[in-house]
Amino acid sequence: MSEENLTLAEVHEVADPMRVIQEKLRACMQCGTCTGSCANSFAMDYTPRQLWRMVQLGLTDELFNSKTFSLCSSCYYCTLRCPRGLPLTETIHALKQLAVAKGIAEKKGARFYQTFLDTVRRYGRVREMELMARYFMIMKSPMLPLSFTPLGMRLMIKGKVSPEMPKFFGPGKMDAIFRKVKELEASS
Amino acid sequence: MRKKIGSALVVGAGISGIRSALDLAELGYQVKLIDRAPNLGGTLSQLDYQFPTDHCGMCKMLPLVERDSSSQYCLRKGLFHENIEIMLSTELVGMEGEPGKYQVTLRQNLSMVDPERCIGCGECSAVCPVEVPDEFNAGLSKRKAVYLPVPHNIPNHYVVDMEACTMCGECEKICPTGAIDFRWEARRQFRILVVDDELIVRDSLRDWLTEDGFAVDTAESGPDALEKMTKKAYHLMLLDIKMPEMDGVEVLKRSKELRPELPVVMMTAYATVETAVEAMKIGALEYLMKPFDPETLVPLVVKLYENLERADERELEVGAVILAAGFGSYDPAEGSNTYGYREYPNVVTSIEFERLISGTGPTDGKLLRPSDGKEIGKVAWLQCVGSRDIQADADYCSSICCMFSIKEALLAKERTDGQVDAAIYYMDMRTFGKNFQRYREKAEKEYNVRFQRSRVHSVEPEGANGNLRISYTDVDGTGREEIVDLVVLAAGQRPPTGSESLAEMTGVELNPWGFCQLQPFSLSLTEQEGVLASGSFSGLRDISESVIQASSASLRASSLIHAKGGGLAEAAEPQAVFRDVTRELPETMVALCSCGDNLTEAAKLEEVEEAVVDLDSVSQVQRIERICTQEGWDQLEEALRDSKANRLLIGACMPYVYARKLRELGKKIGLSSALMEVVDISTPALPGRNSNPEQVGRDVWAAVAMGVGKLKGMDPSNLPSTSVIQKALVVGGGIGGMSSALAIAEHGFEVFLVEKAEELGGNLRVLHRTLEGDSPQELLERTVARVEKHPNIQVYTKSQVLHSRGRVGRFRSTIEKEDGMGESLEHGVTVLATGGKEASTESYGYGQSEGIVTQHQLEEKLHSGAVNPGELGVVTMIQCVDSREEPRNYCSRVCCSSALKNGLYLKEQNPELDVYILYRDIMAYGFLETYYTKARQAGVIFIQYEVSDKPRVEVDNGRIAVGVTDPILGREVLIESDLLVLSTGIVPNNQEKIAGIFEVETDQDGFFQEAEYKWRPVDFMKEGIFTCGIAHSPRSVTETIAMSEAAAQRALRILNSERVMAGSTVAEVRHSLCSLCEKCIAACPYGARWRDEDEEKILVDELACQGCGSCAAVCPNSASVLRGYLDQQMFSVIDAALEEIF
Repeated sequence: MSEENLTLAEVHEVADPMRVIQEKLRACMQCGTCTGSCANSFAMDYTPRQLWRMVQLGLTDELFNSKTFSLCSSCYYCTLRCPRGLPLTETIHALKQLAVAKGIAEKKGARFYQTFLDTVRRYGRVREMELMARYFMIMKSPMLPLSFTPLGMRLMIKGKVSPEMPKFFGPGKMDAIFRKVKELEASS
Repeated sequence: MRKKIGSALVVGAGISGIRSALDLAELGYQVKLIDRAPNLGGTLSQLDYQFPTDHCGMCKMLPLVERDSSSQYCLRKGLFHENIEIMLSTELVGMEGEPGKYQVTLRQNLSMVDPERCIGCGECSAVCPVEVPDEFNAGLSKRKAVYLPVPHNIPNHYVVDMEACTMCGECEKICPTGAIDFRWEARRQFRILVVDDELIVRDSLRDWLTEDGFAVDTAESGPDALEKMTKKAYHLMLLDIKMPEMDGVEVLKRSKELRPELPVVMMTAYATVETAVEAMKIGALEYLMKPFDPETLVPLVVKLYENLERADERELEVGAVILAAGFGSYDPAEGSNTYGYREYPNVVTSIEFERLISGTGPTDGKLLRPSDGKEIGKVAWLQCVGSRDIQADADYCSSICCMFSIKEALLAKERTDGQVDAAIYYMDMRTFGKNFQRYREKAEKEYNVRFQRSRVHSVEPEGANGNLRISYTDVDGTGREEIVDLVVLAAGQRPPTGSESLAEMTGVELNPWGFCQLQPFSLSLTEQEGVLASGSFSGLRDISESVIQASSASLRASSLIHAKGGGLAEAAEPQAVFRDVTRELPETMVALCSCGDNLTEAAKLEEVEEAVVDLDSVSQVQRIERICTQEGWDQLEEALRDSKANRLLIGACMPYVYARKLRELGKKIGLSSALMEVVDISTPALPGRNSNPEQVGRDVWAAVAMGVGKLKGMDPSNLPSTSVIQKALVVGGGIGGMSSALAIAEHGFEVFLVEKAEELGGNLRVLHRTLEGDSPQELLERTVARVEKHPNIQVYTKSQVLHSRGRVGRFRSTIEKEDGMGESLEHGVTVLATGGKEASTESYGYGQSEGIVTQHQLEEKLHSGAVNPGELGVVTMIQCVDSREEPRNYCSRVCCSSALKNGLYLKEQNPELDVYILYRDIMAYGFLETYYTKARQAGVIFIQYEVSDKPRVEVDNGRIAVGVTDPILGREVLIESDLLVLSTGIVPNNQEKIAGIFEVETDQDGFFQEAEYKWRPVDFMKEGIFTCGIAHSPRSVTETIAMSEAAAQRALRILNSERVMAGSTVAEVRHSLCSLCEKCIAACPYGARWRDEDEEKILVDELACQGCGSCAAVCPNSASVLRGYLDQQMFSVIDAALEEIF
């Protein structure tokens, strides 16, 4: 057996919020209907079924390093079809929150979400141009904007988006709400 | 046959109902067998093939002794038994009273077609203009409103589906025998009063209902209606609720005072539904919802009319009620994932597939696609549709679908010479029954059926040509798609329709999913004493188990009736005395039915009669106009009484109908019914078949002459009967043996119970809990006490059987007792309940560490406190140790439940404890599934392994490390365990020895080999010996008890009276011609023949002989003959048939 083998008794020691998620998923019998139903599973490094298995077995670190849950588009198809009636989409949301709380989310997979929420905080809605501009800057990849150029041009011609300078500083319109949410999360 | 005091009602005439009814009838009880369908057979009438034989075999349930008391032909085609009254299209509508004395009300919907007159010619169906989906073909084809419920019944009568019928009357006009009668006159005399304040409603209702033949009056207000009611008598009132002046409820109240017997139906709009419901509480019969349209309203009124006027209600008293109500089916179209059912025609359910592949199905058994009739090349079976699905309210397994689908896949392969590509998509392949695992491997390895472990998530059309695309995820997470021609959904089981009202009426309780709730440790006792459950009504079982459970139910019913004083005491019915005609020359009376004028018109009957009289054994010919009517029959009886004839030949239609009538006639006039025959003379004269009267006459003559020829050579001597020693020997004192012994003893017969151990109890001694939470130790204590106290049971502990000789009814066995002394016991039947034991193993490091134990050992250690769950950190269990692979290639059935039970217990005692169960397929069949769900919810972790990649165990300094590949993550996990529990399964005790003593067979795994897995699960091929419990195959305590009751039931049918008759068709040996070549012994499939060394003779056991004639066929000297089919008889039959030609 190689060194990658896991001693389950060791990794089973998990933090409490994880425990709650584990309990939610206990009845899962690994039938794989969720994975089959998932529109995005082709792009995931772990399929949803594998993700639940990792939760069951308590493989936390590996779990949060995966980009699976950031690829969930919340279509609820898996929840609809799960023969065990498990709240799978909610579990993904809970895992995302946990990832943010643990700071694991500072990785690339989560940056789009952060940028997205930041524009919401500022304007109370999404400004597409600004979102994209900020996202490209955060990703620090010069090739990335180029790959989106043709799409952007077409959208601009059709008047779907308009050029706008992003604002990087200053108070946002939804600051109060975001502050409150943060307080609630911290106290819970 | 013997008549017993006592009667029973069996509700539901499917397999279980028929089995229960036959059981009780064979014991001599009077049985009413009812079914709401117009045909017998339940679901099985639609299924042509059953695994593992891939044949039918239903007829094997028919009586094996006293065979003449019942029909002896294909049971799918029909059944009669002299102690069973079958009532079809009948429902139980009321039940009162107490156990042993229930008053039940039965309602039979009378058919428009008189079954006595219908000859099944089909003219009515040909002219019927209505077409509706055919239930028999699961909706895959159409039928008319007047139709045959099943195509194979004998006799087969048409029935009218009143819900579909438009009452056009065409069939009534065309029926050649006048069997259809819509009774228009009765309808015209049925007066309906329509009360509504709106003119339009009054007028349209009057028009619609008048058109359908009813007499209609109208009233525009409440007072008007009340006034009309006093003047004329009405049979039905349709009453509006919302009316000015006086509202409907008030009118209802007053009408109840004026004419309490008048049925009232409320008419209501949506807003007043609640009022309508209230009205029903004060006496309204029903309510109808506005707005009305004639398409729906008129049939509703017709139905009410049918219920009021046409239904025949009967009240009768029965000692016990057996509910064999069967099951319903999940409708995939109603689920959250429909898999395209009803949307795409090439998505079918299992039962629809069964019809597709049936010779009587819509495609004549060719495997063609429903959408376009294209040959099917690729089929996918999807398991667990509506089962094991909490979202579909089904936290249970339907138990039968896995085997059902494998069978269908095999049939498809066989039908197409292996050309079809068959794949089964499953989560756990539940092959938990005897031989199931090997059947699966046969499908996989010999027939290349593909087994894919995955749950398909969607079925979508692929292009417009009818192909379907199914998508699923492989175990390793790869998404896959396949294009198939046909998708078969293994739709799960549901409670039967009407189960709630049935439960309310009879006082039984339903479980959370609506199936009948049983008492602990029983498969037939319900909450209501005297009401027993039989078959799938209490949940989901295959034929074999249904048959066992049905016999358990009938045994319990019989015990109850017996205990309440009915019992087996024979009623004083004088034994019919038959005239001794052995010394008379054959004199045959021939009675020909002219069927009104039909036969006289179709043939020159006088000429036929003249020719018949010329036959040498015929003394007279009698013509009777309609022998099927009571008048005709009386006429026949009188003629026979007046004549000196000692044979009777009837020429009529449908010979099968007469078996019961002939027996009654024989008793009345004192002539054995074995000397009577009926031949079919109506078929040659059917309309449109032959218009040449001479040819018809010749055909009729040939039929009659053949019958006369057969009767002439009939041996008139009395039928043999066998004396029975009315005592039983039960070998094995475990829970199975004890239950069997008790059941037999309770019926008043003496039982010898032989147990080799020091005390009774067997394996039950080591069980301390069941998965359901009941206490096996209480059961043990209770049962042992009852056995030891019972005056009819003689217990021999520390004893064993040394030797046994004899045949059914007369066995003599020698046992060696505790003190070493021998004792010889005489008994009529034997029950072998020798049990089994937990297998030992050398696998997975067993024996290398104290921390490696078997499931039994774990249970014992938990009970004794040697293992404390609080001190454990990790417990790992490995399932299927040395099982489900050669040489022990069977599932032990109980190990998964044991693992779940112990896993749940450990988690309950110490929630921090980690439990890992390494399994191949979790066999949580039926309602055990919910404990599987519970175990997962409790945090037990299940890891599936393949037999090619088994878990690896390393023991190092007392530490146990279990390595296993997790298939989902595709990587090795290592489990450091404090305790490793091995589920080693069940092996039989050394049974070859006992099988040798009793001359019965064992199977390749050493378990007892039953006569027939599905239809005779507790019988041995050797009549008079029965088996039960884990000596037969692994099963739970409850299942063992049910099986031992079934074995007792089968034993009682022989112990029941001092002499038992075989049937009139039995084999005999003419010793003077016999050369003792013994070919007949080898040919006999029932082991009914043996060579007596002392007398140098071949002897026949009449009770075991079933009259198949194999012996007569192989005998080179014609020394072996079959009563009723002697050579000279057959020659004269052939002569008569060919005489025209020469």
